[in-house]
Amino acid sequence: MAQSFPEDVLEHVFSFLNYDKDRNAVSLVCKSWYEIERLCRRRIFIGNCYAVSPEIVIRRFPDVRAVELKGKPHFADFNLVPEGWGGYVYPWIVSLARAYPWLEEIKLKRMVVTDESLELISKSFKNFKVLVLLSCEGFTTDGLASIAANCRNLRELDLGESEVEDLSGHWLSHFPDNCTSLVSLNISCLGSEVSFCALERLVARCPNLKTLRLNRAVPLEKLPNLLCRAPQLVELGTGAYSAEIQSDIFSNLAEAFLGCKQLKGLSGFWDVVPAYLPAMYSVCSRITSLNLSYATAQNPELVHFVSQCSNLQRLWVLDYIEDAGLEALAASCKDLHELRVFPSDPFDAEANVSLTEQGLVAVSEGCPKLQSVLYFCRQMSNAALVAIARSRPNMIRFRLCIIEPRAPDYLTLEPLDTGFGAIVENCKELRRLSMSGLLTDRVFEYIGTHAKKLEMLSIAFAGDSDLGLHHVLSGCESLRKLEIRDCPFGDKALLANATKLETMRSLWMSSCSVSFGACKLLGQKMPRLNVEVINERGPPDSGPESCPVEKLYVYRTIAGPRVDMPGFVWTMDEQVSSSLSRVTERRGD
Amino acid sequence: MTEVDSEIIKPEMMKSYVWLQTSDGSIQQVEQEVAIFCPFICHEIHSGVGSSKNYPITLPPRVNPPMLSLIFDYCRFHQVPGHSNKERKSFDEKFVRMDTKRLCELTSAADSLQLKPLVDLTSRALARVIEGKSPEEIREIFHLPDDLTEEEKLEPIKNTMDDPRIRLLNRLYARKRKELQERERLKYAEVEEEHVDDRSVDDLLSFINGGNGDSKEARTSKNKKKNRRRKDHQKNAPLNCTSTSNSTSSSSNAVDLNNKDSNVLNSEFRDALVCGNFLPSLGKTSKLLDIEDDRFAREDEFDDDDGDLDDDIDPAIKEKIDREVEDFARRLNSDWPERMQEILSLGQERRTLPVSINGNGSSRRFVSACASFHLFFNFNILCKQIAILDSCEVSVLQSSHVDGFSVPSSCSSFW
Repeated sequence: MAQSFPEDVLEHVFSFLNYDKDRNAVSLVCKSWYEIERLCRRRIFIGNCYAVSPEIVIRRFPDVRAVELKGKPHFADFNLVPEGWGGYVYPWIVSLARAYPWLEEIKLKRMVVTDESLELISKSFKNFKVLVLLSCEGFTTDGLASIAANCRNLRELDLGESEVEDLSGHWLSHFPDNCTSLVSLNISCLGSEVSFCALERLVARCPNLKTLRLNRAVPLEKLPNLLCRAPQLVELGTGAYSAEIQSDIFSNLAEAFLGCKQLKGLSGFWDVVPAYLPAMYSVCSRITSLNLSYATAQNPELVHFVSQCSNLQRLWVLDYIEDAGLEALAASCKDLHELRVFPSDPFDAEANVSLTEQGLVAVSEGCPKLQSVLYFCRQMSNAALVAIARSRPNMIRFRLCIIEPRAPDYLTLEPLDTGFGAIVENCKELRRLSMSGLLTDRVFEYIGTHAKKLEMLSIAFAGDSDLGLHHVLSGCESLRKLEIRDCPFGDKALLANATKLETMRSLWMSSCSVSFGACKLLGQKMPRLNVEVINERGPPDSGPESCPVEKLYVYRTIAGPRVDMPGFVWTMDEQVSSSLSRVTERRGD
Repeated sequence: MTEVDSEIIKPEMMKSYVWLQTSDGSIQQVEQEVAIFCPFICHEIHSGVGSSKNYPITLPPRVNPPMLSLIFDYCRFHQVPGHSNKERKSFDEKFVRMDTKRLCELTSAADSLQLKPLVDLTSRALARVIEGKSPEEIREIFHLPDDLTEEEKLEPIKNTMDDPRIRLLNRLYARKRKELQERERLKYAEVEEEHVDDRSVDDLLSFINGGNGDSKEARTSKNKKKNRRRKDHQKNAPLNCTSTSNSTSSSSNAVDLNNKDSNVLNSEFRDALVCGNFLPSLGKTSKLLDIEDDRFAREDEFDDDDGDLDDDIDPAIKEKIDREVEDFARRLNSDWPERMQEILSLGQERRTLPVSINGNGSSRRFVSACASFHLFFNFNILCKQIAILDSCEVSVLQSSHVDGFSVPSSCSSFW
């Protein structure tokens, strides 16, 4: 069969394979399929930019059109990764610019992007279409100006939740008058005001614009101007949703929303004035995605608004919604897939709102399609977790954050082992789990035994001994990312399960009890792992070998130790054992 | 002229036919309106071939009679203008339901006749066959040779469950659990228990629950429970003052509860925990929820606070267990040289680098050889490595909505 199947037909078959996993499987079938596949692969996803070098990627895949890269580990979102750790995209852009002149898409997450990089992107790729920067940093609005000015066919510019140095809002005016190709624009993370006229004209001349996420500085009164010019919008992120209560503002708003017949997603709502929410009633029944996590107002109108959205699939909201609001949600939104409840005041030990575990239980019981949960609360019980597990065996992502570390079951004062055990035992498709509360090694035994499809696990202030870590590393077959902070895990479990680490993307351990000696041993013995010790207080060898390291980041790689490490990061490899100062020299500081 | 007219005028008008010859030499005729749906045939007709039996159109070799028949079934349906999109879709879905071998042949044939819609249809169907399968399965389905050499195929990362050291570790813990259960059974069989046995149960329970290294000193009272929960394992202080004060208050509650203990309470509590806490050894399914319900009910009765069980640990026994764990750890560490030799030797074969293997220097040479990959590497090996690295990544097309709520680190919310 293989002989008579022409290459271009096989290529055509491969073009219908959407998942990287399938393309990887195909490339391992036989020599000829490997060759054909690598020549026709157009999309690359690299979950850790240090796992492989640009040169290796380019050599294997000569004609790539879309690249997705991730840099810093997830715990960078919680400021656990020190500034300057790494994740620089510039070397990648340089190589990509040389090798792929027809590159169309670049998506980056948690990477350091400079204006230089943005300028290089804007000038190197003639057909550049999509730039997505999620949780990135290091660039200013000048870099954005280059992109706007030079990317003639730009379709998507999404700044995610990046940290942008906002020099001025003028960059938006750099979009040339003949730019009509925009489909998606997300500038919600920007602080300063963009030129509204420029924005208005841009929106008006892009007939295919489907996603528009404004920043806070766009006033509510001006929103109708934009909506009228883009009635085809599918996703809208408002600016500040507040204004003085005036009937003409309200009626303009209501009329504008009435014209948006395709609208499915809403976000924004900074400083929300609840009196203006009814202006959107006409779109509620079509809304599937609603992000109210910036709507810092405690008001029954919010709950009423949410309940109107009977087709809601995704809701992000602050804990102002309270248990009562979640019960209303459970009653009216039967199509809910994903719920995220964020804390309005995480620093206050006392609850400022009446949000407890009951809200989550209600939603779990009332919404049969609920599969993804992120829930911040102040109290939890095993009984509630068991109830959730029983109601929702279809759960895929379950992230529970009880704000107080090591908080026990508030009813029985026991650890929450049983509850989380029930979750992993019942939810057989669980892929992501974050735990909190008082947890002993027992919960890890449950996880190791049952969580066979678990891919990402986040642990903090939990466990009693190495046995906990051992259960996870030896039992969770599908584990790809493990992040741990402030747990009493030491050397034994880590060293015993060293080979497991090669099957995972990465392991993060901070404020644990892993000794410097163990890190050295791991780095020496496992050449395909980069074992990075992050010690901001000083070189790890300044104390005895048994001294624990501050932070440890281990990831598999075929690119060897990286060369862009700052002074507080050391890669453990066989040269480290001789002398740490030699390593410093080698880095070429 | 209307259709009816043309029929009256030429009542015997027959559809024109096209003559085709397949690779096996056989010649057949097909209605022209159906055949010209295939661009290849269309071009040949325009070149003047195919209108008579003597000058048939020679079809490309990949088109055999059964495939031709299938193709014309497809064409015959789709060339009729009257069908709705829904009908066409439904026909297509049924049409591609055939075994993979025929699907391949059909794709091939359709491609050589340049019939793009059918090529698309069959290609998609083949992609669905491939989706979700492992390389071995794909190889089998398509009868492809396994010709990537071992060094080109990155050796699959072994399932660490197979690792003998892991199995040893798990066996050790399983044995401990079994011993514990044995003792419990014996305890029920005999009326009186030695005090030492009770403590062994506690020891083992605490060992399996992970008795922390701090507890080496003798503990005298149930207040250990309080200490244990209050103990800050970390050197770093709790994240903010309020959280510290909270933990103080909650543990003082615990002290109160602890003080109303009794031996009866403890043993019944332990019973409950024995049944509830110990999952059967890995591999058996547990009736976790049912058992835990019982435990839950019983504990409500006794108003006990948490699962801490390292009360009254006989220090001697604790020492013994700690020593056992240390021994095992040492065994692990001493195991390394052998294990490393194993990994190294595999690595050497795989990489075919000009590196000599000598006893002391092997690991160093190996690692430095890795560093000079770019000079000596075998291109294919490296490329395969990407495949393995990638093989555990998520699909590029999964939308990555931003997760992670940016909460400052001083806050204890860390998800």
